[in-house]
Amino acid sequence: MVKKNNLLSKLVPWRMWVQSIFLLVWLDPLALRLHGMCCPVFHCYACPLATFACPIGVIAQFGGIHIFPFIAIGLLVVVGVLFGSLVCGWACPFGFLQDLAARAPTRKFDPPKWTGHLRYVVLIVTVLAVPYLFGEGHPLFICRICPAGALEAAVPNITQQAIAGQTIVWPNALKLTILILFLVAVFFVKRPWCRILCPLGGFFSLFNRISAFFLRLNPEKCNDCKRCHKLCEYGIQPQISPNDSACIRCLECTRCGPEALTFGSAFQHREKPSAELKPERSQANT
Amino acid sequence: MRTRGRQISVLCILFVGAVLFAYGLFFHSTAISSGQDEDSAVYVQSEPALIREVSVGGLRRDESGQVQKTYTGQPPSACPT
Repeated sequence: MVKKNNLLSKLVPWRMWVQSIFLLVWLDPLALRLHGMCCPVFHCYACPLATFACPIGVIAQFGGIHIFPFIAIGLLVVVGVLFGSLVCGWACPFGFLQDLAARAPTRKFDPPKWTGHLRYVVLIVTVLAVPYLFGEGHPLFICRICPAGALEAAVPNITQQAIAGQTIVWPNALKLTILILFLVAVFFVKRPWCRILCPLGGFFSLFNRISAFFLRLNPEKCNDCKRCHKLCEYGIQPQISPNDSACIRCLECTRCGPEALTFGSAFQHREKPSAELKPERSQANT
Repeated sequence: MRTRGRQISVLCILFVGAVLFAYGLFFHSTAISSGQDEDSAVYVQSEPALIREVSVGGLRRDESGQVQKTYTGQPPSACPT
C-alpha cells in the first residue's frame, strides 16, 4: 500500500497560510534585494518589494540580448522536474493574490479547456520569439504587457511618484488594458491568469506528468464517487487525469473520502505497486 | 509512466537542470560595453551580475551585436517596462 504524504495532506487545509509564508519570502522582508538570482515564481523584479528577479522577465531580457539564461532555465527545470506546478498552487504570490480575490462572493465561471493552451502561445511568442527577434522595445515583449508587472511594480511606482510630486510615468495602453481586464476577471474566474495566460505556469505544467512529486490515483481505493471532481476548483477531473497540465496542484482533490488520490513521489518506497490509470484507459472504463 | 522510467527521467532532467544552473552561477560570463561610443570600456560580467542589470533594463544589444549598458553612472531604480 502506498503511504500518504502525511505532512502535505495535513497542510492542504492550511494552503493559504503556506502561501502567506512564501509571500513573506518574496516580499523582501530584510531588504536584501537579491536581484542577481531568480525565484521560481511569478513576481515582477520592478516591484519595490521583490527579493529576487522574475525568471520570465530574465529569460525574455536575456533573449533580447541574445544570451542564454542558464541560471533561469536551470532553476526552472530543476523546480519543474521535482514539483511540476506545485509551485503555482503553494508558492506563487500572483496565484495567491488570485486565490484571495476568488474568495469574493461573486458567481464564478470556468473558462473553456482550450484556453489553457494560450499559456504556451504567450510563452513562445512574448517570452521567447518576440524578445529574440525584435528586442526589448517591442510592444509584445512580455514585461510590456504583464499584469503582474502592472500591479506589483507600476501601481506602487506611480503611487510613489504621485506622493513625491514627480512626473507620473504611466504604463502603456495595452498593459493598462490587460491589467483592468485581469482585475475584473479575478472576481469571476478562479485564477484566470494561471489558467489562461501564465507562461511560467505553462512551463511548469509541461513537467506535471513526469515530475518527481505527483498525484497518484489508487484505483483499488477509488469508488468512482466523483467527489474529487467537486473538490477541484479548476474544472479538472482528477480521477481521470490526476496530473493534468491544467492542474495547479492545490491538492484539494486528495481530501476525497476514500483517499484514493495521494501526493507521492517517484522515489517513495511502495510495498505493493498500485497501477496508475492512464487517461485513455480510464476513459475507456467510464 | 512506470516508476523506474519516471525515476530515470527525473534524475536525467534534474542533472541537466542542475548543470545549467551551476554553469550559469559559477562559470558563465559575457563581455559588456560600458557605453555607446567606440572608446567605451569592455569588461566581463558574470551571469548574476547580468541578471541584476537586466532587472533594471540596463542592457541592450547594438547593431554590431555588442551588449552594452543603457545608462551611465547610477543604474535606474527599476525596470522601465
